[in-house]
Amino acid sequence: MSSQLALVKRDTVDVVADKVRKFQERGEIHFPANYSPENAMKSAWLLLQSVQTKDNKPVLEACTRDSIANALLDMVVQGLNPAKKQGYFIPYGKNLTFQRSYFGTMAVTKRVTGAEDIDAQIIYEGDEFEFEVIRGRKKITKHKTAFSNIDDNKIAGAYCTIYWADGREYTEIMTIKEIRQAWKKSRQNPDKEGSTHNEFPGEMAKRTVINRACKAYMNTSDDGSLVMTHFNRQDEAIAEAEMEAEIAANANGEIIDITPPVSEKVEQGQSQASPEEPKEMRFDDFSDDIPPVRQAGNGPDSW
Amino acid sequence: MIDIKCLGSSSAGNAYHITDGHTALLLEAGFPYKALQRALNFRMSEISGCLITHEHLDHSKAAKDVMKAGINVYTSQGTADARGLSGHRLKIIRAMEQFQIGTWSILPFDIQHDVEEPLGFLLANTAGDKLVFLTDTYYCRHRFRDLTHIMVECNYSMDIVRERVASGHLHPGQMKRLLKSHFGLEHVKDFLKANDTRKVKEIWLLHLSDGNSDEKRFKREIQEVTGKLVRVAGR
Repeated sequence: MSSQLALVKRDTVDVVADKVRKFQERGEIHFPANYSPENAMKSAWLLLQSVQTKDNKPVLEACTRDSIANALLDMVVQGLNPAKKQGYFIPYGKNLTFQRSYFGTMAVTKRVTGAEDIDAQIIYEGDEFEFEVIRGRKKITKHKTAFSNIDDNKIAGAYCTIYWADGREYTEIMTIKEIRQAWKKSRQNPDKEGSTHNEFPGEMAKRTVINRACKAYMNTSDDGSLVMTHFNRQDEAIAEAEMEAEIAANANGEIIDITPPVSEKVEQGQSQASPEEPKEMRFDDFSDDIPPVRQAGNGPDSW
Repeated sequence: MIDIKCLGSSSAGNAYHITDGHTALLLEAGFPYKALQRALNFRMSEISGCLITHEHLDHSKAAKDVMKAGINVYTSQGTADARGLSGHRLKIIRAMEQFQIGTWSILPFDIQHDVEEPLGFLLANTAGDKLVFLTDTYYCRHRFRDLTHIMVECNYSMDIVRERVASGHLHPGQMKRLLKSHFGLEHVKDFLKANDTRKVKEIWLLHLSDGNSDEKRFKREIQEVTGKLVRVAGR
């Protein structure tokens, strides 16, 4: 390992590992028996060495160490492992973020809520689909489909149900309209030719409804735990990183300037501004207001 | 010499009166018309035109009444459509197309806000004053030359926002919108550093957020960065 890389590791992986150890000692976080934060960090570190920014720079060089450490912390506190595709490290300019995949969202939901299963289905046009609302909670009473109904161009909607061992369940249903509305918020342009949303609408619709159900249920628990903080932090961290990257790329560019007319051109300029109705502009007749004419060369050099 | 008066500068309403001694302009009309009249001592007839940046009511509320009073309103097609403005007092202006009101030459330019066609304004007069008016934008694509007056939104500071989200005082959804619609202190500093401010006489900080800002600190920090006279628009 180059000494540079060793320095980055010391400022990120080692710092986060230390933090996590303290959380554990203070009892603020408990990992399931099958999750080893050390292993997850090792996987992440290996992976991070090959992640690159848009302009093909290694993120470990291009991104700030703070943002790398925060991304790692988000991953570990939620008990996720990038090797299981439970999340990805995505750079926005100088900021690295950790983004849960929907597998990751399901894993956290199961762990935090004790849910047993999370299932999602697509509703196709022509399906027999019925649901009831019992005490404000949706319950699917019938979904009968046919093999011939399966058609990615004829998706009517999707639903996701979270099941618990004691028989409780929680369901979210979305119409295709709602799903498409959610896609509009996607960073990838869903309307673009060849977008994942266009090529695999069924899978993407499932993903959307799973995310909706898990997030909605997670947020009904008023659990102020560390896991919840990091679970919800993702959106804000991404929003902030995106904004910073956009500003860094676009802000304070070309100089634009304006040249005030130096002589009687004032009137000319005015009629240019509203050529369609010069007669009506009684109020616009500011000729009295025009100051004493300035000589050229009197003003700043740039005129 | 430009004289700037702030009639209000917050999400409750924005309006500024600027004059170079020859032509007086109203920037924004984000109050009920009666409140505007009172703030201007009922001397509406002295106003030569009203420029409006975007459709949100805290910037455009009185637009229709201002036109009824015989004052031309200059704004983008996007803003006019959103507010339902029409008539001969409405002057549609476009980004990067210069126009003239009395002694002022005005160049509208694109800004970054979550509405259709919002505008910022660069105003210059023959006396050598040059003012940029930049509000409700989270950054500015452009830079400017020989500015003498800067009126720029300075809405929030990231550390205050983060703290308020963590303590539950600011909804994360509101934070996301804020970041992509309003100018934060750190970005305002970058904007000021990117521009040549040697000729600047006054910097006005506009539209400070009620919860996410700190007037004294913002003023001090902008003064430190620029070494200029900084005024915070009274809310």
